[in-house]
Amino acid sequence: MNLTRREMIKLSAAGFAAAALNISLPGKSSGDDGIVVDKWIKGTCRFCGTGCGIYAGIRNGQLVGIRGNPKAATNFGFLCVKGFKGYVSMYHPDRLKYPMVRGEDDKFHRASWDDALNKVVNKFKELHQNFGKDSVAFYGSGQCMTEESYTFNKLWKGGFRSNMVEGNPRLCMASAVGGYITTFGADEPGGSYADIEKARTLFIVGSNMAECHPILFRRVARHKIQNPEKVNIIVCEPRLTPTARIADVWLPADPGTDLAVFHCMARELIKNNWTDSWYIENLCRFSTGAKVVDFKAYEQFLEQFTPEAVEKITRCPAANIKEAARLFGSQGPTMSLWTMGLNQRTRGVWANNLIHNLHLISGNICKEGADSFSITGQPNACGGVRETGSLCQLLPGTRSITDATARADVEKSWKIPPGAIDPKPGFHTMEMFAKLGAEDDTSKPLKAMLVSTTNPAQSLPNAPKYYKGMKDAFLVVLDIFPTRTTQLADVILPAAFIYEKGGVYGCSERRSQLTQKCVEPPGEAKADLWIAAQIAKRMGLEKLIPWNGDDAPTSYKMAWDDYRECVKLTEHTLYGITYDRLKQMEEGLQWPCPNENSPGTSRRYVRGYDPLMNMAAIVKVPSNALIYFYGDKQHEGKANVFLRPYKGAEEPPDKDYPFFLTTGRVIEQWHSGTMTMRVPEIARSKPNAYMEISPSDAKEYGIKEGDMVKITSRRGFNILPARVVKNSLPGILFVPWFDQTWDRMINRVTIDAFDAGSKQPEFKICAVKIERIGDPKDVADSYVISDVNAPFPIKI
Amino acid sequence: MIITGSVIMVMPGTSQSVEKELLAFPQVTLQGKSDSGMDMIVNIEADDHNELESLCQKIKDTIPAIVDIGHIYINFEDEIEKIQARTWQDYYAPNE
Ligand code: SF4
Repeated sequence: MNLTRREMIKLSAAGFAAAALNISLPGKSSGDDGIVVDKWIKGTCRFCGTGCGIYAGIRNGQLVGIRGNPKAATNFGFLCVKGFKGYVSMYHPDRLKYPMVRGEDDKFHRASWDDALNKVVNKFKELHQNFGKDSVAFYGSGQCMTEESYTFNKLWKGGFRSNMVEGNPRLCMASAVGGYITTFGADEPGGSYADIEKARTLFIVGSNMAECHPILFRRVARHKIQNPEKVNIIVCEPRLTPTARIADVWLPADPGTDLAVFHCMARELIKNNWTDSWYIENLCRFSTGAKVVDFKAYEQFLEQFTPEAVEKITRCPAANIKEAARLFGSQGPTMSLWTMGLNQRTRGVWANNLIHNLHLISGNICKEGADSFSITGQPNACGGVRETGSLCQLLPGTRSITDATARADVEKSWKIPPGAIDPKPGFHTMEMFAKLGAEDDTSKPLKAMLVSTTNPAQSLPNAPKYYKGMKDAFLVVLDIFPTRTTQLADVILPAAFIYEKGGVYGCSERRSQLTQKCVEPPGEAKADLWIAAQIAKRMGLEKLIPWNGDDAPTSYKMAWDDYRECVKLTEHTLYGITYDRLKQMEEGLQWPCPNENSPGTSRRYVRGYDPLMNMAAIVKVPSNALIYFYGDKQHEGKANVFLRPYKGAEEPPDKDYPFFLTTGRVIEQWHSGTMTMRVPEIARSKPNAYMEISPSDAKEYGIKEGDMVKITSRRGFNILPARVVKNSLPGILFVPWFDQTWDRMINRVTIDAFDAGSKQPEFKICAVKIERIGDPKDVADSYVISDVNAPFPIKI
Repeated sequence: MIITGSVIMVMPGTSQSVEKELLAFPQVTLQGKSDSGMDMIVNIEADDHNELESLCQKIKDTIPAIVDIGHIYINFEDEIEKIQARTWQDYYAPNE
């Protein structure tokens, strides 16, 4: 690299950084982009639900750099290590480049696309004929593009007439969906990320934002640092994570006990008159779930949750809870932010309800800086799966499949006969995998599954329980790398990475952003949409899914337009979000966005912000209502404040299994490590999973830093190194779940109990025991499954 | 070699002293700052990402008035060429 070029790159790089903060660099050119790369193409990051805007730098047909988009409303140009480096994995030599079909020797062999697709289609047809329309399932992902999820959903529900459609957001977001729908009658938050900078108090619950959503956390931390006296941060989380370290008040409740903390905070709000009587009278309906009650009954119900009683249940100090309630109620506006710590629970929906309760009774919602805001884990769990209705009980626009009007509307849009859509929901994720199996196994109604862009053999809780079903059934996997799931597959279809195909992602704040295709996929890998459309075509459903051409941008636009039309007259309308607008707009658009003149909606349910408040064709809102929860099934514009009884974890520690185990992500790695472990710098910095343990527990068990430990639950065990850390309460262990190594795959240990309402499993909590089994050992192997024919670690 | 475009956020009123202290780090080039002085626009140069991370940590440890170092752009096109030339055996040792 010669000096001139280096200086130009430095100036360009500084120019991008300055632009992000609206700082001018006097006397300096911001550099000529053309010297650094041939062109910059706009898109989004695919490594978490924040939805950071990026520009991809292309040189000689290759992606050579990523920079943050300074005009993106999500990240203002900042990116985290995954955003900068994650894409490097797309150039890894392990990429799946050719269709592979398992042969009679039980090994994968390269096949042509025609042969592979015909094998899939012929098998699906045969199974449909022999076992009925519901014998073949689709299991998608919050990482599929919206157009892809919509297409698979349409193919299954409209083409096959089967609701056997699920996706991995069931494992991460389903309780948030359940919480929003039961409280407000409609899914997804009302506010926006922009409320972060308007809030005076931020209540962060069950979220290690600093590691899992680092750019959002940067916004929170920056807001606090710039206004240290005015801005308050409360963090409710059993570990003193990097997120909790910026808190003014930390609420360290034992895993699964926080329902009591939230009720206690509500009690404090009422006792100290930190409530809003207008909200209570006009926007709240108090409910036990079975019947409507009055405010007095709610007040009486809360009496059992005194701070002192709650401290006994949760180990969370009473004084901390009181102070948290004071900040929440009297130092507003208050915004709550949460992720998996709240959702991945057998009481996930209830936990979500109770956060909403706090906002409703204190009037901290539908105002600047005040919102009850669930952050999504994956880049397109909201936009792709929730909004397109790609779950077993939903239709596009997050409408219920049991709703006859919604079905009729979708049937009309899809031009299929009235009554074609089955009113009965399909199996939810855990049921699907439990009922997947061999053709000769009469106890298993599902005989085949197409898995797209996800790795259930590693990510399902209590995963080994489901291996036999996956192995015995006809399993088709679309992915970009070999995984534990491809090891169990019959056919592997090589897919394209986001920058090799383009498409729309919708992030946590209802914002749709378009990524344009940047480069070609490697080998014979194909855009997932092409694969879906080719299956449709070969099954005689070309009229339903006509976007089967080779030009990805054309096909994705066709699918998007079909989707826009389908949800045009729903509460989730994004009819005004066209590809042309998304190409032009740096920051994308937030729905509801009912027409092409609409600027989108930063705050739902509020007149003056939300265009639906004046759109009787979609929702009926009284003309004098300023705030109106139009999803309310009682048509009163109210939200439900629930009197949910206290219930702890499904499997609390006991004398045999005395520890809580909680699992999660770390900043460098993403999900099952399939991509991030293939970025050398990331792999080096987090090469293996480990078990975090408090110093007092470590002492009691004779465990020192790095010692090998065995962690065992009622389901399975892991063997991994210990990390003695001061950041969690005694009795609580933490293991990240990115590691593919058999000994360190923590979902061999987790519990597959799930929430009765949302069907989301309790990844975050189970009971385990530990034993020290040896001195420190070097396990920093950065292991990935590189060979599709690598033998599965156990006999199935 | 990677080159960043980054923002160093400093405590109010400390920008001049931070500027001086940054001179001890030849890998850092100051390109400008905001009117308040709290945001400094810099380039940071490092051999690879690991070195960048440890350098940033060292800068933060050495200059306590720095609140945060955030990267807006990282140029690492040379790295892609290196990565493409590798095979998985070059840096992974499977254990199964
Ligand atoms: S915060 Fe999330 S979306 Fe933003 S750069 Fe990091 S991984 Fe990507």
